[in-house]
Amino acid sequence: MATDLIVDTQIRFWVFLPIVVITFLVGIIRHYVSILLSSQKKVETQQFEDSQIILRARLLRENGKYIPKTAFLTRRHAFNKEEDGYLTQKRPAASQSMMTDPSMMTDMVKDNLTNVLPMVIVGGWINWMFSGFITTKVPFPLTLRFKSMLQRGIELSHLDASWVSSASWYFLNVFGLKSIYSLVLGENNVFNILAADQLEQMHEQMSGAAMAMPQDPKVAFKAEWEALEIIDHHWSLDGIEMKLLGEEEKTLSD
Amino acid sequence: MSAKETELHPLHVLQENNEPKSKFLDKWLNLWLKINDLGNESEIQQLRAWRENNDRKSREILDIWLNGLWLKINKLGNEKYLILEQVCIAALDCHVLSIAKTCIENLSQEFPKSLRVKKLQAMYFEAKEDFGSAIKILDAIIKADETNSPARKRKVAILKAQGKNAEAIKQLTEYLKIFMADVEAWQELADLYITEHDYQKAAFCVEELILHNPHNHLLHQRYADIKYTQGGFDNLEIAKSYYSQALKINPKNMRALYGLYLTSSSLLNCSKITTSKKKEASKLVDWTLKEIKNKYAEADVVVTALAALEI
Repeated sequence: MATDLIVDTQIRFWVFLPIVVITFLVGIIRHYVSILLSSQKKVETQQFEDSQIILRARLLRENGKYIPKTAFLTRRHAFNKEEDGYLTQKRPAASQSMMTDPSMMTDMVKDNLTNVLPMVIVGGWINWMFSGFITTKVPFPLTLRFKSMLQRGIELSHLDASWVSSASWYFLNVFGLKSIYSLVLGENNVFNILAADQLEQMHEQMSGAAMAMPQDPKVAFKAEWEALEIIDHHWSLDGIEMKLLGEEEKTLSD
Repeated sequence: MSAKETELHPLHVLQENNEPKSKFLDKWLNLWLKINDLGNESEIQQLRAWRENNDRKSREILDIWLNGLWLKINKLGNEKYLILEQVCIAALDCHVLSIAKTCIENLSQEFPKSLRVKKLQAMYFEAKEDFGSAIKILDAIIKADETNSPARKRKVAILKAQGKNAEAIKQLTEYLKIFMADVEAWQELADLYITEHDYQKAAFCVEELILHNPHNHLLHQRYADIKYTQGGFDNLEIAKSYYSQALKINPKNMRALYGLYLTSSSLLNCSKITTSKKKEASKLVDWTLKEIKNKYAEADVVVTALAALEI
């Protein structure tokens, strides 16, 4: 029955191809707009310092056994002393400044401007302009469950599921053109970067943000402070001379 | 391009045949071949490897550059700029300022606002010993980007070059307050303190280095050196332990072996030493002496073997 259905050639010229061209061009424009709006992320000196403090404290915890006990204790004192050790210093709360920080807000607005807004506007316009067309057909049979995915905007219960409606064609284009963009715009286009960002975020969540700079240094500092407090110093060089001699004597007797 | 090269081949034959013209032709022919010699990828790969490993082979890099790479730099695409930067630093190392200058000019034409190029300019002035201009540029870089650690390090290097060790130490400690996990800086600070004979603080810096890299025998040996130089019973005890550790990690460390001998024998002369410690120290003295003699005997084997070959 589906083979009987013949789509008007006018649809190809006035619906199918325009949707491809429009989504492609919008993607290109988005790329350049986001380049124009992008601002280099500046690492604050404070943030940098914090991450270095954490790194150094961790090294002290792990390799402290290789330095003499007095040296270890001096360092621990510098990190953990009551008033203004590196890990106990007073800081203005970071969580509050996150919402009021203007650069954070502009970043979010820019993000929305280049990602969400065009999707909504162009998607809505295409839905209004080209609604109700059958544009193309996927060359393999599909089950009924795909109807809601491929035939958005057409509510025909007895239409074969492999036909694609105009609105769905638009979405297929939006998600499927990524490799074309990397062909046209080069590897470093905004879409690849977005995808990489998402991957990174997922990765961070999984690894518990081990090496990433913590948003709120206080929490990380507290954890590091605790770990340093409970650690005992066992000098690994204790009796090393005898070990050196003992080994030698053993090899001699062998 | 291949068409042009085939054009040249008859010339090549001609040049072999008649002698008087050959010198002039030869020169241009070589030049032409060099310009078009894109098959010589190995040099570029070598440069890339040195860049990635942070090898400072300045003389070799400069040789590659003068040996024809400068003619085809425009054909390298984006890698051109990385190579220019590398060559620039190599040229500064070898004090060939003219090459460094052309590199910087090329780079600043392409990236007029880049802080990285500005740093190269500062290094150029530094090599010319125009320290005032260099510091002015570096200050501008730091003002533009507070977290620019290379610029801050260069300032310390300038102070050191001027012989103002005390000021260099002050700057470096300021730097380490922010970048406290910078191993290079700690190492430099240790050196500076040693030249100023401030062994207590130098020891602190080397402790920091040991924390960062606990399996490097040279660091252990260095720490022991400092402690031995400081003197006193407790320091000698620590020096003894660290020389032993260095020897344990690398049994071939001759300096540590000799150091262990010296520390143990001066421990024997200390008035504070207990009898058990005394026994241990004398044991160590015996052992190290034996080891040192063994090492020299091994070396002697080679010497005598060579002597046997002589007529």
